[in-house]
Amino acid sequence: MHFGGLYEDEIVGKAYDRRLMARFLRYVAPYRKLAVVVLAILPLAAGAKLAQPWLMKLAIDNHLIKGEMTGLPLLATGFLGLILAESLLTFAEVWLLQHMGQKVMFDLRMELFSHLQRLPVRFFDRTPTGSLVTRLTSDVEVLGEMFAAGIITVVGDIMVLAGIVGIMLWMNLKLSLVTFSVLPVLVWIAFTFRKRMRTAYRQVRARLANLNSFLNESIHGMAVVQLFNRQKTEQQEFTRLNADYRDANLPVITWDASLYAMVEALSSVAIGLIVWYGGGEIVRGNLSFGALVAFIQYIEKFFSPIRDLSSKYSVMQGAMAALERIFHLLDTEKDEMGTDLISTHQNRSVPISTIDFRDVWFAYNNDDYVLKGLNLTLRRGEKVAMVGETGGGKTTVTRLLSRFYEVSRGSIAIDGTDIRELSLHGLRRRIGVVLQDPFLFTGTIRFNISLGNPGAESRVEVAARIVGADRFIRRLPLGFDEEVREKGSNLSAGERQLISFARAVAFDPEILVLDEATASVDTASERLIQEGLKGLMAGRTTLVVAHRLSTIRDADRIVVIHRGEKVEEGSHEELMAQQGLYYRLYQLQFRD
Amino acid sequence: MLGALWLAGTNAFALAIPWLLKLAIEGLQRPATAQHAPSYYALMIITAALLQGIIRIFSRTTLLHAGRRIEFALREELYARLLTLDLPYFQRERTGDILSRFSNDLTNIRMLMGFGVLNVINTLILYIAAIVLMLRLSPILTICALLPFPVTILVVKRLSATMYRRSIRAQEELARLTSRAEESVSAAVVVRAYCREEGETDSFRTVSSSYLDSNMQMARLRGMMIPIMAATGAMGTLIILFIGGSRVISGELTLGDFVAFNGYLAMLVWPTLMLGWILNLMQRGAASMARLNGVLNARPTVTEPAAPADVGEIGGEIEFRNLSFSYAADSAMVLQNISLLIGKGTKIGIVGAIGSGKSTLARLIPRLYPVPDETILIDGTDINCLPLARLRDAIGFVPQESFLFSRTIGDNIAFGRDGAGEEEIAAAARVASLDQDIERFPAGLQTLVGERGVTLSGGQKQRVSIARALLKDPQILILDDPLSAVDARTEEAILRDLESYYAGRTVLIVSHRLSAVRGCDTIIVLDQGRIVEQGSHGELLALNGRYAAIHREQQLREEIERF
Repeated sequence: MHFGGLYEDEIVGKAYDRRLMARFLRYVAPYRKLAVVVLAILPLAAGAKLAQPWLMKLAIDNHLIKGEMTGLPLLATGFLGLILAESLLTFAEVWLLQHMGQKVMFDLRMELFSHLQRLPVRFFDRTPTGSLVTRLTSDVEVLGEMFAAGIITVVGDIMVLAGIVGIMLWMNLKLSLVTFSVLPVLVWIAFTFRKRMRTAYRQVRARLANLNSFLNESIHGMAVVQLFNRQKTEQQEFTRLNADYRDANLPVITWDASLYAMVEALSSVAIGLIVWYGGGEIVRGNLSFGALVAFIQYIEKFFSPIRDLSSKYSVMQGAMAALERIFHLLDTEKDEMGTDLISTHQNRSVPISTIDFRDVWFAYNNDDYVLKGLNLTLRRGEKVAMVGETGGGKTTVTRLLSRFYEVSRGSIAIDGTDIRELSLHGLRRRIGVVLQDPFLFTGTIRFNISLGNPGAESRVEVAARIVGADRFIRRLPLGFDEEVREKGSNLSAGERQLISFARAVAFDPEILVLDEATASVDTASERLIQEGLKGLMAGRTTLVVAHRLSTIRDADRIVVIHRGEKVEEGSHEELMAQQGLYYRLYQLQFRD
Repeated sequence: MLGALWLAGTNAFALAIPWLLKLAIEGLQRPATAQHAPSYYALMIITAALLQGIIRIFSRTTLLHAGRRIEFALREELYARLLTLDLPYFQRERTGDILSRFSNDLTNIRMLMGFGVLNVINTLILYIAAIVLMLRLSPILTICALLPFPVTILVVKRLSATMYRRSIRAQEELARLTSRAEESVSAAVVVRAYCREEGETDSFRTVSSSYLDSNMQMARLRGMMIPIMAATGAMGTLIILFIGGSRVISGELTLGDFVAFNGYLAMLVWPTLMLGWILNLMQRGAASMARLNGVLNARPTVTEPAAPADVGEIGGEIEFRNLSFSYAADSAMVLQNISLLIGKGTKIGIVGAIGSGKSTLARLIPRLYPVPDETILIDGTDINCLPLARLRDAIGFVPQESFLFSRTIGDNIAFGRDGAGEEEIAAAARVASLDQDIERFPAGLQTLVGERGVTLSGGQKQRVSIARALLKDPQILILDDPLSAVDARTEEAILRDLESYYAGRTVLIVSHRLSAVRGCDTIIVLDQGRIVEQGSHGELLALNGRYAAIHREQQLREEIERF
């Protein structure tokens, strides 16, 4: 048994992509004033930094060598001033940058989230939750790192580097050229190592993902592991993944250590070169001692931004990949509800009188049709039950009515108006959907019934009473204010179901859609619920998907859906008399 | 140890460089008395630099690899502990919290054992050596130059402590944001059905904003960190420039001494800053270790018997002897005074309302929760006296909510039995009415389940879960409402096929559907944790009590529908 393989493939791209950057800059635009301030600070900070070795040179040449004490205190004061200036400017720079970065991240995150809220249900079917959460969290965080470490700081670093090169060239051209002879080696090392580290690092990420998802699953399935006495094999598998992860890390450490050590060594080699050639220059009288010392200090300052250039490079690379993924998500088609047509049909004062499914075809993928030319009419106040085998398309019918999915062919019309011409919200406000899987949010029971909707809030307790949920709710220590834990884990399956019923009732919809709602409730609760629903259904057009025939007792009409088609329709008696599919389904359940 | 040795080597060469520089400058100042030419010193410096570089690779890899190895071993130990912990533990602890111990806390420990140790040793060696050398150059200057250092250590320590506290808070905010995002994405359909898009966005904005706030505070602190680093070094230089400079002028110090001094000071800046950081890392590491110990020291309430009973083959007779049970000491009783004898090879049905204790009763038999002594007996032996593995091996348990692993369907079915052949797996699948479904999957039994493979329907998952229990060939089969997600026809088929499999086994079926338990030898009706009725379908009907009432209701409906 092997658990493994790469998880989400990483996009490995360039460290700088003009197209992505240009689009990203639009998010920075609102904070351009801050950016201008930072850009103004950068040369000042660089200047304060670069002037320090120069003062040192002056001190050595004009005072130490000549034995001239006067003026040294003044120089020292100047030095102190530069230190303070550099500190303050750097503080301002880092702080402002991060401030800006956080604001941009917040904006981007909010845009992503509200975009997600507008994506069609179909999108969520094919996209794993985890990857969407990653977009909203890690990917946005990576952009924050870019602000903290990359982008503008790089501009500052480049200024410092350019400044150092300029000053050194100006001080002594030949000595500078000799010193800079280590640069090609440095560049070569940086590039070679970066390439290898990138490959190695990708493996680390993939293996960590494997390890973590194995662990996650293992915790969730612990009861099964223990019931089946699988501890030993699970431990072996974990050890394998754990060792894989460790082994992937070791080369990364080695490469990283080598890079660090070699850059460090090169900076000392550069000092050696300065002594070698600079010594000669001093003897020849072309260089002062002060300049030699300043050279050494400049070269030390030169290497420190280079030392973490490679880490900045990978931050930028990560940021570009994150941007790519984020923008890709933002470019995913939204629901057409952006157009939100305000039509007269939205007016609640005109109650719905008919719903027509006309030759409805639908496929989740390509030509794999789940519904094949369904015709169905619901009249006001009518209760229609759909029965049939699993996978026959009953659930799909309810999803199409709420426009979670769009019909592939044909149409669904409310009072003659195609639902595609109604606003999504307008449509959905009038349809109460009870899903197969009652989803509960973390929050109180009250919140789970009202979902924060002001209208529904006033009906929470009534709704709970109608569906018979109030009995168990009142037994809870905090009643309606009891917190529901992660995915409702502190409630039983039936209790969760009751809450989702109460939710539908609280929203007081015109059309009620029940999807197999009674499947996991025991007989007693089912009776309670059905009694509650009876009151609710009065005057409401109801479409029920029922696997169990007992739930359709009160249906005005029964529709038998088989392999995407309506094969029978009529009252219970009529269908029984036909002795067709319904008759058989019925026999299965109630044969004695 | 080896790492420390390497580190000593690295530092020896690193420390040689400023000294060589000093000699070179002194030589340049007084060429007449110089022992060697500047090029000699230059060569020495370059040699020292290269040697230092090579040894540094060894020192860093040795120590950092050790950190990773320690992390590996700790992670192994943590996981091994998890495997022994029981269901109450996993219900008490949040999964995210356990996962964060495996990632964040383990990372802290690794950092401490790798970088922490590396830097402590490095700092120690460097400090001692550099200070000795500096003292040789000028004692007074050394004291003066090092004056700002203790202040820096303290400031960095305080600052990074605050930063750590803030970052914990930021992490918590991020965790909240993550679970909010996760919930909202999983609830996509509900959100749309109830037009809660705006509400979701608002609530996400709230968590995002508070995360933003804590990050803003972090930004300010981070902003202070870098200038403090820079200022420490520069302050030292300033002191050397002023005090050292005047000493050079008065002739007490050579220019070479001055430069070397500067070099040593520069070498000390970084380790000094690291020291402040490491002091925090140690605190953090201690806190993380405490959290890891929370897992490592956790003991299951369901334990192996101290003196395991010596039993042969488990037959399958189950006896409940005045069993009362509650999930926690202070919570309400879920089961009360349950007494029942289930003979070997009998088929028993358990029905009752939601929360009547049906599932709890089923879960106690394989000891998923701690069972009071002498309340559940198998073949006359207290289950608390049976070795856990023996007990669970004898039980095929199909839980209410089927859990499948992201492996192949075949692996999932063969979960309970190593080395089960393809034939046996297929046979189990057939008994669970899963064979036709499997044929339709792209790779048959080899099809992956989950996000990277096929998504199974609720009914399919339940049938895989049933097949998994069957393949174990257990003496006792417990079905905890396993048919809730399948339609009538499939339910019928499974029940019929299972019937032949039951032969000789003790079978316990928990169900809310009477049809599922109708054929049982004995049916018990639970109400608020008590057995209120007990008997065969016929007897219970004759009893004319609760069971009969439920049955009548169904009959009545049936009759109404017949009209």
